Amino acid sequence: MNKELEHKFVTELQDNQNIVHKVCTLYTNDRDSHNDLFQEITIQLWKAYPKFRGDAKFSTWMYRVALNTAITLYRKNKRRIDTSDYESIIFKIKADEYDETEELQLKLMYKAVKQLNDVDKALVFLYLEDKNYTEISETLGITEVNARVKMNRIKTKLRTILNP
Amino acid sequence: MTDELELLKKDWQKKEFNVPKLSYEEIHKMIWKKSSSIVRWILIISILEFTVPQLLYLLPSMQEGMEIYENIGVAKYLRIFSIFTYIVAFYFIFQFYKRFKEISVLDNSKNLMKKIIKTRKTVKHYVIFSLSMIMVTIIIMIIGVYLNDNIISAFPELKDSLENISAEKLKITVMLSIGVFGIILTLAMGGIYFLLYGLLLRKLKNNYSELKHLAV
Repeated sequence: MNKELEHKFVTELQDNQNIVHKVCTLYTNDRDSHNDLFQEITIQLWKAYPKFRGDAKFSTWMYRVALNTAITLYRKNKRRIDTSDYESIIFKIKADEYDETEELQLKLMYKAVKQLNDVDKALVFLYLEDKNYTEISETLGITEVNARVKMNRIKTKLRTILNP
Repeated sequence: MTDELELLKKDWQKKEFNVPKLSYEEIHKMIWKKSSSIVRWILIISILEFTVPQLLYLLPSMQEGMEIYENIGVAKYLRIFSIFTYIVAFYFIFQFYKRFKEISVLDNSKNLMKKIIKTRKTVKHYVIFSLSMIMVTIIIMIIGVYLNDNIISAFPELKDSLENISAEKLKITVMLSIGVFGIILTLAMGGIYFLLYGLLLRKLKNNYSELKHLAV
């Protein structure tokens, strides 16, 4: 039974690992921390897995655990190091799909988002994942109105970062 | 900005992140690794908080210390007193256990943070209680020394060298050293404790206040 559960979990996580990688990319600045956070999220997901009843999609269920781990449980302090190497690897955009201005714009946007605080990043992450405000507010434990207000403030913040 | 964010969203959703995909084996290996989450750290530190002071009594030097209590005539009071502290400690352990069990990663972020802070508060109250109890013990000892008319006999091994010192002087010296020792011990233990937790929970507290202010 346990082996079966294990197999099911690992397979599902393997299929959905992109979500965890995205969270790690937002919250860490180098490859080592990325892997470290990935591991911690995996441990937390596995510990909580017996409570996953399958009435929601596995991926939906993952958002909460992954974000909670990143903004609450993960202990390590972010080291302030030169992040450009890591980011250029992660945010490499396939050149043929974009024109240059768009590519530059996107790069700047990613950089700006990385400068936000942990909670703001969580909101942006859920927004980018196309979650609606009900889901955002339920995941973070704030009201829907507050989530909207907060999102507007984040947009202003991003604007200030991009056009100082 | 909205346009740029929409652009980002489109890109975000189609992007395959340029990180090496983990294999089945790699993920499988990960699930048996030890967590390094702050909840685990709080549990470890708290167990230490609850057990280390008890273990100290098993050290031989502490048992010699008990003889001194006997000699200055406060052992009986300290024994009654320690029963009281044990009862309170068990109450705290029970509270801690109850709160610790409530912590779930499946909760929403704000609740999760609130519960972790609440659990930590239980330990904080316990530590404050323990430190005050150390102070009370020190005070009982000082009173014991003060009321003791034959203070030299409390230190049998030092009897010879103490003969030339007046009982009054000795009493004040003993009382002062116990007092100073007690204050240093309390401050050191408190200092280490609050520093440790301060560092451990700094990030969580920042994020919690961020979410809490939203609700106002």
